[in-house]
Amino acid sequence: MKAVLRYGIGGLLVAVPLLLAVAGPLFVPDALTRGAAFGDTGPLGTDFIGRDVWHQVLLGGRTVVLVAMLATVLSYLVGVPIALLAAMTRRRWVDEVLMRPLDVLLAVPSLLVLILLASIAPRGVLTLVLIVALVNVPDVARIARAAALEIASRPALEAMRLQGETWWRTAVGYVGRSMLRTLVADLGIRLTAALYLVASASFLGVGVPPDASDWAVMVDRNQTGLFLAPEAVMAPALLIIALSVGVNLVFDRALRDRGRAWL
Amino acid sequence: MTLGHYALRRLLLGVVQVAAVATLVYLLVAALPGDAAVALAGDNPDPERIEQIRVAMGLDRPVWERFAEWLWGLTHGDFGVSIVSGRPVADFLADGLEPTLLLAGLTMLMLVPVSVLLGVASARREGGWLDRVVTTTAVGLHAIPEFTLAIVLIALFGVQLAWLPPTAVGTDGDLLAEPAVLVLPLIVLLARPICSISRLVRAAMIDAAASDYARHARRLGLSARRVRYAHALPNAVAPAVQQMARTTDWLLGGVVVVEAVFVIPGLGTILVDAVAGRDLPVIQGLAVLFAVTTVLVNLVADVVAFRLAPRAVT
Repeated sequence: MKAVLRYGIGGLLVAVPLLLAVAGPLFVPDALTRGAAFGDTGPLGTDFIGRDVWHQVLLGGRTVVLVAMLATVLSYLVGVPIALLAAMTRRRWVDEVLMRPLDVLLAVPSLLVLILLASIAPRGVLTLVLIVALVNVPDVARIARAAALEIASRPALEAMRLQGETWWRTAVGYVGRSMLRTLVADLGIRLTAALYLVASASFLGVGVPPDASDWAVMVDRNQTGLFLAPEAVMAPALLIIALSVGVNLVFDRALRDRGRAWL
Repeated sequence: MTLGHYALRRLLLGVVQVAAVATLVYLLVAALPGDAAVALAGDNPDPERIEQIRVAMGLDRPVWERFAEWLWGLTHGDFGVSIVSGRPVADFLADGLEPTLLLAGLTMLMLVPVSVLLGVASARREGGWLDRVVTTTAVGLHAIPEFTLAIVLIALFGVQLAWLPPTAVGTDGDLLAEPAVLVLPLIVLLARPICSISRLVRAAMIDAAASDYARHARRLGLSARRVRYAHALPNAVAPAVQQMARTTDWLLGGVVVVEAVFVIPGLGTILVDAVAGRDLPVIQGLAVLFAVTTVLVNLVADVVAFRLAPRAVT
């Protein structure tokens, strides 16, 4: 009960869009009705090409949520091993070779990287996942490396080395495990960043077809009808806001509770 | 390390960064499918016609040769010519620069005092009502993508209440002629950076106020105000200055989105159009411009932070 209250607002903000995104597609009839553009049939009216806005809302959360989650997972899968290798090596040049290219990537505005890459690669959900993951990798690698370096200088590690433990056991078994705490603490920020990038990219029409059923694309395409049918824009926009704010609030809350428990 | 040494080292690093970005961008753009010749040849391309255009534009020469030529031009401020309209890329950049610089400049100008003020004010009474309100709002607002905030504000203040113009259509790029047009875009651009920087200033102020040197200064009998503003504040602002530089990244991304929503003819709009039209030289020029800006701002910020708190930077 306490937990419910504590996560109340944030949890509610996440739950509504998440539920719509996951379960929504199940409630959409196969035969989609087409009416006049920006008309008032259906609970939320129709969109710029006459599709039912309510059906689009039900369908449109999947890509946003899925792409953000997959991209976050992928960026950890790539970034953390790179960081471990860079932090644990005794040869300085390995560290430099692994981390310098990421610094260059950090120097380019992330949306620019995204737009450039998306115009080269074929359109599709998978492309968007890969690109958003790539944009997030430098940040993940940097944070993971800093955490690993701090752990790698502990006396415990020195002892393990003297005992002749294998690289695998010291690097993955000890350092990797001790890093988890920092990485979990950072997860909320990464997830929010991925959500932000996915939504902004879709809004700019990067990597998605122009009539895609996607909340961000809906905001973009239905903007022309803002005077006629504000619901067609406001519903998806508010859902994205709720999701982003909710995720951030929940993770912030969890982090503060956890931090207190650790202290 | 002296300030001069530090600045020189950072400058060299910056030059390398810009060169790396320029190379990367050129190679990436060279890998774009369906080069400009195909785009120019029209809907029903005839292979011979494509070949002709390719030769005329020099696209048949090896990549490294064109790259060397392009780099050489860059050092002279020659960004090449748009392949869609034939205008020099430098003209495009000059056209779009004004609205974008205006937006970014005004944002930065308001960002610094507002976020430092908010941070200092909420740090004065840690856990007080002001602190709690600012912190909660910052956590929430921080996550909202610019375009959704923009559209909600437009719907509310532009359409429902009709207090402010919903878009910049009709100003012909001369934004200052109608300052009301700027209000909503600036609010949207400020929302995210203010959150992150005021939080940072707050945390750093609380740390600084509890530090040994602040305690020592108080013991020496310096007034609380003097300790807070002359001793704690510069140390607290140093990390915020670096974070501000990081927000130029956001600012550029935000500007692209904000320009798209409010129909402002700046660099962001040019970029989106250029990508849609496969206008490679324009994309390359913009990428180099953005990279140079990001590197320069970070450079200045690092040097300022070094000056404010020399030991904090390594």
